[in-house]
Amino acid sequence: MVSFLCRTLPIVLALPCLGRAQTVEAGRSQFQQQCAFCHGKDSAGGEDGPDLTRSKLVAEDVKGDKIGPVVRNGRANTGMPRFNVSDQELASLVAFIHTQKTLAESQNGKRRGVETADLRTGSVEKGKQYFNGTGNCAACHSPTGDLAGVAKRNDGLKLMERLMYPRGAKSKMTVTLPSGESVTGETAYQDEFTVALKDASGRYRSWDASKVKATVDAPAEAHVELLAKYTDDDIHNLMAYLLTLDKENK
Amino acid sequence: MRILITLLVGAAGLLAQGTTPDMLLKPPADSWPAYHGDYSGRRHSSLTQITPENVRNMGLAWAFQTGQTQTLKCSPLLVDGVLYITAPDNVWAVDARSGHQIWHYAYPKNDGFHIGSRGVSMYGNWIYFMTPDAKLICLNSKDGTVRWNIAVADSAKGYWTTMSPMIIGNHVIVGVSGDFDNLNGFLKSVDPETGKTQWRFDSTPPAGTPDATTGGMTWMTGTYDPAAKLLYWGTGNPTPVLTGKKRPGDDLYTCSILALDPETGKMVWHFQASPHDTHDWDAVEIPVLVDADFHGTPRKMLMQTSRNGYFFVLDRITGENLLTTTFGPTNWATGVDKKGQPIPNPAKEPAPDGRLIAPDEGGLTNYRSPSFDPKTGLFIVDAHPSYGIYFAKPADGDFGWAGADYGVWGKGVLEAIDYQTGKMRWTHELGPNGAGAGVLTTDSGLIFTGDAQGSVLALRTSDGKTLWHAGAGGSMQSSPITYELDGRQYVVTSAGGVLFSWALPER
Repeated sequence: MVSFLCRTLPIVLALPCLGRAQTVEAGRSQFQQQCAFCHGKDSAGGEDGPDLTRSKLVAEDVKGDKIGPVVRNGRANTGMPRFNVSDQELASLVAFIHTQKTLAESQNGKRRGVETADLRTGSVEKGKQYFNGTGNCAACHSPTGDLAGVAKRNDGLKLMERLMYPRGAKSKMTVTLPSGESVTGETAYQDEFTVALKDASGRYRSWDASKVKATVDAPAEAHVELLAKYTDDDIHNLMAYLLTLDKENK
Repeated sequence: MRILITLLVGAAGLLAQGTTPDMLLKPPADSWPAYHGDYSGRRHSSLTQITPENVRNMGLAWAFQTGQTQTLKCSPLLVDGVLYITAPDNVWAVDARSGHQIWHYAYPKNDGFHIGSRGVSMYGNWIYFMTPDAKLICLNSKDGTVRWNIAVADSAKGYWTTMSPMIIGNHVIVGVSGDFDNLNGFLKSVDPETGKTQWRFDSTPPAGTPDATTGGMTWMTGTYDPAAKLLYWGTGNPTPVLTGKKRPGDDLYTCSILALDPETGKMVWHFQASPHDTHDWDAVEIPVLVDADFHGTPRKMLMQTSRNGYFFVLDRITGENLLTTTFGPTNWATGVDKKGQPIPNPAKEPAPDGRLIAPDEGGLTNYRSPSFDPKTGLFIVDAHPSYGIYFAKPADGDFGWAGADYGVWGKGVLEAIDYQTGKMRWTHELGPNGAGAGVLTTDSGLIFTGDAQGSVLALRTSDGKTLWHAGAGGSMQSSPITYELDGRQYVVTSAGGVLFSWALPER
């Protein structure tokens, strides 16, 4: 029946009749056109984009339930654009990405990507000294508090990225209105012209930046100042130390 | 009276002839006939209707929706009242007065990289368009029909094309992209009538040459000095990209600024912005040509804010270096050699446990145009102070990317650089991650650009103060243009897949 329909109604039903190999091939073609520049021809990483064969999101994806929303909505803070794809196109892309993941996992060597073992070259002791001394990390962080189990929650590369700059960290905004009233909440938006926060009730409120006074308390920005000061040894020592923090608090 | 009418009709007839060599040398106010507007790459206009005083009244004249999710990365072309814009596989002809579509050309589906299309060029009434699968297509500007289609490079090997071809005399000059395979870079000159190759310049030796680099792609439109008869072109990074072991030495002519004879393609001089690059820092950013005093002596100069974080001022006749300085955080060089070229620090090459590098792979700036304002002597650039981590290990091999890198932090800043010293006269914060918008300046003392969160900005050139803005709902990934039609000045910007035309209210 299916093959009969495929022959008689080629325009309407041709795509759903594709076999798995054809679906993967269609996905490969689409991936080359739209995705390969950032994620690499083999999906193992290119300019800017991560290696999808080792992506946690891809690993957890079932038939596009995780990949689909990212493809269709994009990710504003990482530069991932949104793509207007049909269900069939998405299914092909997802099939291709999963095929590449399986292929990559079956290969020895010739792999790009970063292993946690690669990142253990520093000295734990020196990293601890830097944490408590020069880096002044202890002013905000504690190995038995917020950082307990940090190495369990993040793989090596993710930990290294977050150590350098914790993308998406929350900050607190206080807005003083012309009336003198002051509103405090989580920073929701800020540019030259508009400021916005989420107040205690979860409501989004925005103002013309020129009409109010807004101050932002963003402790994570201290990471930016360190970027200009780190030596590569500092980073590797810190990594060695942080990788020892693999036990969650009970 | 009849004679006068005949003359007027004759003049109008001449005006509708597409581009002419004279027009490309001295673009009239009612045109933007090439990628940069003129040959200098300054992206500066002599128009003065929109001023610092009245720009606050500027509003939308029209918008054109491409209906695509692909972000526009082209610089529009304007000839005879018609704008030509592009996205990969697509060319639109749009009425520059009203924004309505005149025709649309769609190239057949193909497997090339659909990463961007930076615009078309025009020779007479013919349009030249490059495709994701490395073809050069000649279209009739009147209706978008295909005249011919030639292969510039073999897309099956991994080449693709994105650039707006450059027209000099009877040469259509085209470059190529291709970082994911070890391919040699080249620049070609093609006959505008027949598509036949006139000359070819190879920026690197053929793939497979022992100990030699590949790469040196030629993916951005160059600039031209008609008096010196020199063509200036930037070349891209070497391949393999993140590991340099297989390509010892400087890797000429990758990451370089080249001066070529446009008649023959022969190289006259070269300057290498990044010897032995291992960070993907193409030196294809616009080589901007400026005639002005340098420390009291009149000079014909070439200036580039390079992706690697360095600002170079060269004598463009000889290639002599006049100034080398940084325009933001950089940490990958040990100094500058006697030719004015940065000396790469081997300790900052990608490594198995990662190296912290400033700027990140996107660079301190990228392909969108900067602008030079002659009155203030300011070089205005969209900068991206940033850090990334770079990895490479033997298991990554020595083909194509051969490593991995991750941006960790960045922001956008518009910088006004005094070209005589390299010092910042002022800076203007553009927001988190980076803006990536091109810059246009005008003789009235205005800058048009975009911020990191989707606003179009008009700033005062002298001090960088914001005078006008509008939220455009998407980031500007192109460079603005301006023109005057029927006595009205328009500024054209893009955001996402939409083209916006801004003007003062009609009287």
